[in-house]
Amino acid sequence: MAKLLLIEDDAATAEEILGDLHGRGHEVAWAATGPDGAAAARSGGWNAIILDRMLPGLDGLTLLRDLRGAGDRTPALVLSALGDVDERIRGLRAGGDDYLGKPFVLAELAARIEALLRRPTDVRETVIRVGTLELDLIAGTGRRGQRDLDLLPRELKLLEYLMRRPGQVVTRAMMFEEVWNYRFTPKSNLIDVHLGRLRKKLEAEGEPMLIHNVRGEGFTLSPDV
Amino acid sequence: MSRLVHSFAFRWALAIALWSTLLSLLLFAFVYWQTAAFMQDELAQVLRHKAHYAAREPAKAVNRIETWISEDLHSVHFAGLFGADGSKHAGNLDARPPSLPVDGEVHRIGAQVAIAGRRLNEELWSAAVALNDGSIVVVAHDTDEIDRAKATVIRALGLALVPTLAFSILGGVLLAGRAKRRLASTEAAVARVMRGDLRQRLPVGEAGDEFDRLARDVNGMLAEIERLMEEVRGVGDAVAHDLRTPLTRLRLRLERGRDQARDIKELRQAVDQGLVWIDQTLDMVTAVLRIGEIEHGRRCAAFGPVDLRLVVSEAAELFEPLADEKGIALGIRIEGEESAVRGDRSLIFEAISNLLDNAIKFTPTGGRVEIGLARRDGVPVVSVEDTGPGIPADERNHVFKRFYRAERARQTQGNGLGLGLVAAIAKLHRFPLSVGDSPHGGCRFEMACPEAERHASVTG
Repeated sequence: MAKLLLIEDDAATAEEILGDLHGRGHEVAWAATGPDGAAAARSGGWNAIILDRMLPGLDGLTLLRDLRGAGDRTPALVLSALGDVDERIRGLRAGGDDYLGKPFVLAELAARIEALLRRPTDVRETVIRVGTLELDLIAGTGRRGQRDLDLLPRELKLLEYLMRRPGQVVTRAMMFEEVWNYRFTPKSNLIDVHLGRLRKKLEAEGEPMLIHNVRGEGFTLSPDV
Repeated sequence: MSRLVHSFAFRWALAIALWSTLLSLLLFAFVYWQTAAFMQDELAQVLRHKAHYAAREPAKAVNRIETWISEDLHSVHFAGLFGADGSKHAGNLDARPPSLPVDGEVHRIGAQVAIAGRRLNEELWSAAVALNDGSIVVVAHDTDEIDRAKATVIRALGLALVPTLAFSILGGVLLAGRAKRRLASTEAAVARVMRGDLRQRLPVGEAGDEFDRLARDVNGMLAEIERLMEEVRGVGDAVAHDLRTPLTRLRLRLERGRDQARDIKELRQAVDQGLVWIDQTLDMVTAVLRIGEIEHGRRCAAFGPVDLRLVVSEAAELFEPLADEKGIALGIRIEGEESAVRGDRSLIFEAISNLLDNAIKFTPTGGRVEIGLARRDGVPVVSVEDTGPGIPADERNHVFKRFYRAERARQTQGNGLGLGLVAAIAKLHRFPLSVGDSPHGGCRFEMACPEAERHASVTG
């Protein structure tokens, strides 16, 4: 349950986002113009802000820059119809924590908001444990219970990414951006086959499932105990 | 008429007419000058000769002077023999002209002469020569004859000038009219083009002159514009067509789902299927926009050094599980040393990914896809080849066009934009892209990636 602020000028888009996020148990306030949004953002108390790149009255990036200038570090996600990489860089430079190009799938937005709300606690940890799963980042080895896992470097990175977000839905695009570090939308089944391989290594016969496919949204790794 | 006066061609014609008149004037002047000089020379020679002839033998001088005078029918010959004291011995000159030097040369002087008993002042060409006994013989000729000839030439010139000028202007006007007619037909064609009829072409004459060459160039330009417009229209049509198919399917599926679903589960199935089709449609729209974005070169800002070996091996790594799942062997062959090209790392990766995706899509189970990085003539070349059906030679020019789907690909999923995107990315980077036969039976795509020029080292 988080308090979210949505600054979006298109009422139809806003309505869908509000409905979806409400359905996921969030409390969302909506501002339709730049100045209204800026006023609402300044009043504080938000867990995260979702704002459109182009807003009437005040540009989304200017709004964000002003907010950051005033020392407000509330996580912010920038929405934009301009999908280009340079545009993304500009959004992140202005103080955005994530960037999502339109058109997007609601599940993608929800997953990214979730990721902003639950940032990995301590990224300096070098040994991560989720249930019986253990990953040693220094040695580059993984174990499930007593069983050593034979992981390729990319699988190690993918597992690390999932293990830092246990129980959280991550989308294919999020994984592709963070694990492969390339910015475009890959063919949907590409990431699935990578996850499929990882699952085969993690989930030996008879063992409970660790990675779950959340239909229409993405994947989640949940602890087995 | 005022339009004619203002026309470029008419002004040129007028200028040329004036110029040709000026030239004929100059020619006339030269002829006049030469003619006059010739006549004078002739006369001078005669006068010199007669004077010397009369002076050679003093005894016959009087006789010879009389002969000279009597040869004259028009009273234009004059002569005189004068004593050393100036007294007149013979001839029709009353006195030795005082201004005439006695040097045997011809001079133009004024003198008093007697013609038919009357005393007249005449302009004379005359020569004076001294005899042995000190007396002086003068031989002269009237200037009127030559002056008249000169006047005749001048008059002829004046008479000829008017028709010359008139004919020049007439010719100019005719030429201007011809150019004008030619221009008018061109203007008409241009006007039709401006009204939107791009199939119009300018008239090209047989002469092959500058005008024809210009018309040919403009026609070439029009053909290129027509081709581009055709392409734009083609893309628009293709987008509309490719959107209509999934949207129609979507509409039918939703309609059927709403009417026939017996429970919420069936309704969800209908909606889910609908969402899949919408996603495909959105992917297509996004791809079209991305191609446009890349083609406009708006993304050069993200250019930096790109390690091709890394990008190629990461792309291979990304697709290896997919190929494996389809029962296709994905081989990777990287040769040569490091290759640092300048570009957008993410876009180059995307281009290579699209080539690999394409190869895997068209290669049947049990086949092989190979990605390679090798140097040819010092230039790093990324290649992707497969054992699929290949691409017929006559279709190879089209595969990089937007929305082109070879006949064999109609049944395969995809929006025909993958290779269009590769082409746009290659063009942005100025990487030559080609497609040919693979030695393994399928097709082979190649993208040559010339390295950024390194700064020459300045050491030692």
